[in-house]
Amino acid sequence: MSVKIEVMRERCMGAGNCAEVSPDYFDQDSIDGTVVLLRSDVEPGDEHEVETAADVCPVAAILVKKTAASV
Amino acid sequence: MTPTGQTEAPAIKRYPFTRTSPLAPAPEFDELRTNDPVTQVELWNGNRAWLATRYEDIRALLHNPNLSSDTMREGFPQANATAASFRGGQRVFARMDPPQHDEHRLMLTADFMVRHVRELRPYLDELIDNFLDDMQASEGPVDLVKVLAQPVPANIITRLLDLPPEDSEFFLERVNTWMSLEVEPAVSAQAGADSLAYFDRLITSRLESTADDLVSRLIRERLLTGQLSRAELQHMLGLILVGGFDTTANMIALGTLTFIQHPDQLQVLLDDPSLLPNAVEELLRYLTVAHHVAYRIAAGPIEIAGRSIREGDGVIAPLMAANYDPEVFPSPHTFDIQRDARGHLAFGYGVHQCLGQALARVELQAVFGKLFQRLPNIRLAVPENELRFKDSLIYGVVALPVTW
Ligand code: HEM
Ligand code: SF4
Repeated sequence: MSVKIEVMRERCMGAGNCAEVSPDYFDQDSIDGTVVLLRSDVEPGDEHEVETAADVCPVAAILVKKTAASV
Repeated sequence: MTPTGQTEAPAIKRYPFTRTSPLAPAPEFDELRTNDPVTQVELWNGNRAWLATRYEDIRALLHNPNLSSDTMREGFPQANATAASFRGGQRVFARMDPPQHDEHRLMLTADFMVRHVRELRPYLDELIDNFLDDMQASEGPVDLVKVLAQPVPANIITRLLDLPPEDSEFFLERVNTWMSLEVEPAVSAQAGADSLAYFDRLITSRLESTADDLVSRLIRERLLTGQLSRAELQHMLGLILVGGFDTTANMIALGTLTFIQHPDQLQVLLDDPSLLPNAVEELLRYLTVAHHVAYRIAAGPIEIAGRSIREGDGVIAPLMAANYDPEVFPSPHTFDIQRDARGHLAFGYGVHQCLGQALARVELQAVFGKLFQRLPNIRLAVPENELRFKDSLIYGVVALPVTW
């Protein structure tokens, strides 16, 4: 299993919930405050935190995708 | 059963509902959530509107692109005549729909982002220490609303907009009157006009400013470039003032009251101060001070919980009903600073979710961190049933006399 994050920046309203909940993965752009993905590969153990960040995003701009690890 | 053998249709309920206990949501929300989660209610002027009470439905509605915040649309639902008068003609992004909303909001987001507002923490800690020093220098009792709850956000906003600190008295009074649902529409409208006139003078005085404060930058980068009209900038500054002031002030006062009423929870917090951020989230959920927020109008058809909402229908998605949904927050009427409250909708949901929420969190964490650390024995100086609560757009307490 690997878990990846995708953000749809054009939807982002800069509310900053993601950066609040999961600062290791999300930051905000210093010009317009919209989301900046710091890394897209989720470390084992961080899945819950990242999923919470996606859940509290008010505009559903964050996708957390689980894919079966390729062999 | 009536004698004719037909069940009588339940009488349509009048909205807003009346609270039966000062800090708790009206009981009708719990009843409707179970029996009729998306229903119709009647408003002050006889108009009908849809009312949702389940967390998932409220979230889905506030996220739905067919739900408009534009109060200029014919039939936009309002809480009462005063609310109708002051929300009627606003041209601020809080009342706009995308894409114009997004354009305006994104002019401000960088100034309110998490990383940036956290830098205010040392300033806030010092400010709060000063207020508490003054408080402790007196014998008590003092009105916490006057000495702490209002001055904190008033100082933050004057700092943010770089206003003369002595002007904050003026704002306190004007904003309180503007947002009150208990004054006559004309009185509220005048207070709103006064605040906007103040911003008009402020813009004039900074037209040539080269300074780095938010107002000067908005003038240089947005007004003089033609992206914003003067009226739009004036209203935008008014929105920052209104959005950040009463909300935070009432959270501080009612939050203090909540901890006074729950000494066991205060003890949990004092024993483990690392619970503070979580405690603030739970306070936001439990109090949901923006209790009249989330009136909307359908700009197109919406299907929700088996109901068909048509274009032009009024829709009410009360944040308070969502925050007390037991499916999401078990035993919602219990104040529990150890629960996971992060998904609460106290700041709204969708594109309009509070722009100032990171700032509000920093303010509330600073206040409650200091207040209870320094005054762990804080208590009411009057019997609880003498407290008067105010029915404004934002819920609050008129005065909170405390001793320590
Ligand atoms: C605890 C304090 C606060 C609470 C409970 C709160 C609550 C809310 C809520 C519920 C909304 C959504 C309104 C809607 O959907 O119609 C909102 C929007 C907004 N808030 Fe706050 N707020 C707080 C603090 C602040 C602060 C400190 C500021 C700024 C200084 C601020 C500025 C705004 C603005 C500009 C909007 C409009 C956002 C938009 O329409 O895109 N708020 N707030
Ligand atoms: S939570 Fe969503 S809207 Fe807010 S900054 Fe992150 S991606 Fe953007």
